[in-house]
Amino acid sequence: MKELKILYLYPDMLELYGDYGNIQVLKYRMEKRNITCKIDQYSIGDAAPDFSSYDIVFAGGGADNEQSILAEDLVKYKENIKQAIQNGVFFLLICGAYQLFGKYYKGVEGNIIPGLEIFPYYTEAILDRKKRCIGNIVLEVELENNKPTKVIGFENHGGQTFNSLSHFGKVLYGNGNSFGNSEEGFFIGNVIATYLHGPLLSKNPEVSDYIIKYCLERKYGEKVELEVLDDTFELKCREQMLKRLIK
Amino acid sequence: MNIIYMILLKIINIILKLFGKQGGNIIGKIAVKLNPNMLAYFKINSPVIAVTATNGKTSTNNCIGYTLEKAGYKVVSNKEGNNMETGILSTLVKNATITGKIKADYITFEVDESYVPKIFKTIKLDTLVVLDFFRDQLDRNGEVETLILKINEFLKTYKGNLVLNADDPNVARLGKANPDNKKVYYYRVQKYEYATTGMKEAGEGKFCPFCKTRLEYEYYQYSHIGKFHCPNCDYGNNEIYKEAKNINLKDRTFEVEGITYKIQDNSIYTIYNYLAVLSVMNLYHIDTEDIIKAFSEFALNNGRLEKLDIKGIPTIINLAKNPTGANVSLRLLREDNEEKELLFVLNDNVADGFDVSWIWDINFDGLKENGVTRIITAGKRPYDIAIRIKTSGFDYEKIIPCENLDKAVEELYKTNTKKYVIANYTSLQPTRQAIFRLRG
Repeated sequence: MKELKILYLYPDMLELYGDYGNIQVLKYRMEKRNITCKIDQYSIGDAAPDFSSYDIVFAGGGADNEQSILAEDLVKYKENIKQAIQNGVFFLLICGAYQLFGKYYKGVEGNIIPGLEIFPYYTEAILDRKKRCIGNIVLEVELENNKPTKVIGFENHGGQTFNSLSHFGKVLYGNGNSFGNSEEGFFIGNVIATYLHGPLLSKNPEVSDYIIKYCLERKYGEKVELEVLDDTFELKCREQMLKRLIK
Repeated sequence: MNIIYMILLKIINIILKLFGKQGGNIIGKIAVKLNPNMLAYFKINSPVIAVTATNGKTSTNNCIGYTLEKAGYKVVSNKEGNNMETGILSTLVKNATITGKIKADYITFEVDESYVPKIFKTIKLDTLVVLDFFRDQLDRNGEVETLILKINEFLKTYKGNLVLNADDPNVARLGKANPDNKKVYYYRVQKYEYATTGMKEAGEGKFCPFCKTRLEYEYYQYSHIGKFHCPNCDYGNNEIYKEAKNINLKDRTFEVEGITYKIQDNSIYTIYNYLAVLSVMNLYHIDTEDIIKAFSEFALNNGRLEKLDIKGIPTIINLAKNPTGANVSLRLLREDNEEKELLFVLNDNVADGFDVSWIWDINFDGLKENGVTRIITAGKRPYDIAIRIKTSGFDYEKIIPCENLDKAVEELYKTNTKKYVIANYTSLQPTRQAIFRLRG
């Protein structure tokens, strides 16, 4: 039986917006297709993980307090993580984790939380604490060549991210990387970094299956046709939300 | 000028009543428009008791009022749960003379967490009860830490009674806000039957608020509520004022200082709330016999663990505005050995928060194993909740999403199996009404 291994980073700290649901969705969609899904967790104080031994690395969003504590911890693994990304391990990074993989995060008081500096973007907190990009969001995303799909989620971030260079999607509804931006997230074949909660994968089975297919093909070196699952609820959900948000 | 405002507000209140309207926040909204400092107008000579929390405000405040009334006192209270400044103003206007005097032995309020400082800067508070802090509507309220810090700031100069849940690390920390205030009273509930050694549901207080060390738990009752302490600075080691033991959910009894109390509910979280009420009653020297009697009778019947009989089918309705609210409802469902069906109603209106991702913090594991045979989902987001439950492993062919609430209720009562109904904030009353319509 085929198996994919997921490394779940800081589950006790980056767990604010139900982002763990992304892992549950991946696990569900793998197990329905008889693929074993093994999930390891890493948090502060645990033995150093070997990022390259995983198929998927996942990290979500957390409270501001927790985020600065773990930024220090994560930097220790910078080289290991870089190597894993080069090796093609899939990284799914949501919200706070998206920010951490960039150059830096500049706080309201001008304080700089250094990022991993793996990707070119950087994030600056908006000075007015009460202003945040909050609400439903719809993107148009091209996962594979010439196959655009709509991605639905919920954004809730004060940080404004600039210089993404390679965005995840075009914003059809909502804000994106910064207020009124037309682009959202960061995407290269094996990295999706985005502000989208919801959780992201719960309403976007195509994105889930893109990740699973990518990982299987990489690991087993063969073309994969994923078994079609009954996504009636997901499709209905998307239909309802798209009707509401996009005329 | 204020006296003229009062006359005006009273007249509006009478008109609203003529049209059969409760008023809710309306009177308060007008009052604030007339005079932003209207709260200061009222002359209050009786003790003011306030309850704040993420979950349990309405039930606890009502139980305090009910018990005091049982003991023969006149109570003024915002019973319906209008708990922001405008709601409290409405209650005061309705119960005051035109000169602003309130005739009552006690005034009890439930107060929204973020309004505590504002309201009690003006109104003298005698007792503040804090039950719990959980994540709640993140897109509206922000992180729970912000709310806690706000109340902590207010407490730094507060000298009245402070009744705190010793088993919630987010609440117990407030006891240290003002070291000069000796009137801090902690309550606790001893380990119950279904307590666990690990956290079962999303929780907040993982790190010591004073030294950031990871907290250690002897056990968890639900979410992050349990017996904790900080291995580094000993935070959590508080002197306990009231402690419940021998929790028996089946008989619906618990024991405090050798006295057994019988209650209508059978949920661990409500026992915490009763302990808060009991602490308050003891602070005001209310007769134990009155408390025993009041506790044995008290039931809110407003969609908070409301028990109904619909065409002979037992039905339990419970409000769940946030993950913990839903988790405690599901706990109840799991602790019930009978076969049952679930209706989950999820709205995303302004008051609910637009973000429904909190449903992924609900623990839906093992529903089938715990006797759930079918699940109906409804509200404005029936598919989101259906996807959530499906992903937890519950057979999706036994999940029926319905966009129409009446259809959902009709579907639910097609079988004679016992029903559990969980509804979020704005969907609760429409759901109850739909059920009542079906009952006819």
